[in-house]
Amino acid sequence: MKKAILPGSNLQPRRDWLFSLGPYVIIAIILLALPPFLSNYHLSILTKVLIFAIFAISLDLILGYTGLLSLGHAAYLGIAGYTAGILMVRYGLDSFWVVMPLGILAAGIAAAIIGYIALRVSGVYFLLVTLAFGQLLSVVAIKWRGMTGGTDGLFGISVPDLGLPGFAWTPSSFYYLVFIAFAVCFFLLSRITNSPFGRALVGIRENEARMQCLGYNTWAHKYIAFIIAGLFAGVAGVLFAPLYKIMVPAHLGLTTSAAVMLMVIIGSAGTLFGPVIGAALVVLLERIVSTYTPERWPLILGGIFVISVLFMRGGLGIYLSRFWRKVRPQYGNVES
Amino acid sequence: MEMLRVEDLFRYFGGLQVLQGLSFNVASGERLAIIVPNGAGKTTLFNVLGGQLSATTGRVYLMGQDITALAPQRRLHLGLARSFQLNNLFFNLTLIDNILLALKGADLPHFQMFRPLSKRTDLFATAENLLRSMGLWEMRSVPLTNLSYGDQRLVEVAFALASRPKLLMLDEPSAGLSTAEAAAFADTIRNLLGDTTLIFCAHDMDLVFTLADRIAVLYFGQIIAQGTPQEIQANPRVKEIYLGSEETTENAGSK
Repeated sequence: MKKAILPGSNLQPRRDWLFSLGPYVIIAIILLALPPFLSNYHLSILTKVLIFAIFAISLDLILGYTGLLSLGHAAYLGIAGYTAGILMVRYGLDSFWVVMPLGILAAGIAAAIIGYIALRVSGVYFLLVTLAFGQLLSVVAIKWRGMTGGTDGLFGISVPDLGLPGFAWTPSSFYYLVFIAFAVCFFLLSRITNSPFGRALVGIRENEARMQCLGYNTWAHKYIAFIIAGLFAGVAGVLFAPLYKIMVPAHLGLTTSAAVMLMVIIGSAGTLFGPVIGAALVVLLERIVSTYTPERWPLILGGIFVISVLFMRGGLGIYLSRFWRKVRPQYGNVES
Repeated sequence: MEMLRVEDLFRYFGGLQVLQGLSFNVASGERLAIIVPNGAGKTTLFNVLGGQLSATTGRVYLMGQDITALAPQRRLHLGLARSFQLNNLFFNLTLIDNILLALKGADLPHFQMFRPLSKRTDLFATAENLLRSMGLWEMRSVPLTNLSYGDQRLVEVAFALASRPKLLMLDEPSAGLSTAEAAAFADTIRNLLGDTTLIFCAHDMDLVFTLADRIAVLYFGQIIAQGTPQEIQANPRVKEIYLGSEETTENAGSK
């Protein structure tokens, strides 16, 4: 195959790989080198940024790429977190190799059930059904006291044991675990979004009826994307629980779902790096604002959202990628 | 061989009977033009045949198989593809991405999740051939919304052809083109078609007479005449519908 025809697509030809991968490599090196220079407090903030980054890119697969407005995405984070916590606190199972897969699996099963029902409808009804399931699950977390600890929360969650002799978790080793999880999730999702399947999701976002005429089973595409998004949110959830050391019902509900949605939209839905920037921005701002006036954080977050929608339509990421495309040689279209 | 058989097709919208017992056959390799005065149910007929609307009663068979209740994507994989009267494309994506989506849709298996689309050199090669034969290759990385309307019409046809359909349905393929554009457009379509069976409808009679082997006249949800272009031109009932009845013309002339 001639290389000459590749520049026409969304994907860069190979000799451009340095420009495509360069920023990712630099960011990865910075993230890997940072821990020795940070206090435990700041390291925990950075860990939280990466966990929310995983959570945000998982939502972006359905929100940004497929165009499904889910306002119940925290359900999968919460279910995975509660599953991990319950396994460790109630059943004493603290092997990482048990807790991680079961947490992800629980989130995936929840997404398979909720998605099967929610995808019967579309648009604002889809949003309402996903919201209702998120709220329903947070009520379950409140009422099922014996298992979840009710409104007091499920506390005493620690980092699951890797099973390595002589190894003990420190804030920086936990940070590296989260970094690896983030890198793996980012890589897998970038493969998925660039695959024929991922491009089909974009087609569904743009014009679903036309995709059916072109031979795509759009329902199956949306359903599978929904489950994949749930699985990746599960990865974030299993890491979220030991970072907070507690799971409370609010983690499953609207506030968490809305926060992650804002991260995706502020950062640029439909790109993978955008929601990462959005997650970093929201988490860092929350920390700064909370030291001065914690009770006003929701007000300020809402204000930031309004400003970003009014003045940065498409989100921060679009502006960054435009800037980057001016810097590097021009090849085709990176957006969409 | 019979490609499509439509039996006694009805479609109501509430009390409005849009299709009133349509029956017709299309033979393999044939090019059937459906000509209609406005509001005669053409779009409804195309939507029922394409699977966008369900039939109220009646049956549609594609190569002997009953497709009346099948979803659009199932019909496509059986060999039926269609275009739309109004451009119905992915306007925010580039031209090549549009074509690749169309080519991938017809291709099985569907869920290729980890291999990048850029590695599908087979699809790229087909896309290149298709775009070159339409004369649009140079425009491949342009977002579709920036293409001219005429070029978008061509993409609409290319979408329908991407699956190498056995039966192609074109809904007003040259709608909105200038006379000069429409002539060039007809040539391009004829080159792209090969011996694909075609059903199309058009108000542009030049296109109808250039492409069609057979013409069916749809009037208020019923087929009132069908035959070769010559027969249809000579048919008094068709003349009456298109030109008004002779009596009225005479009366108007005498006054």
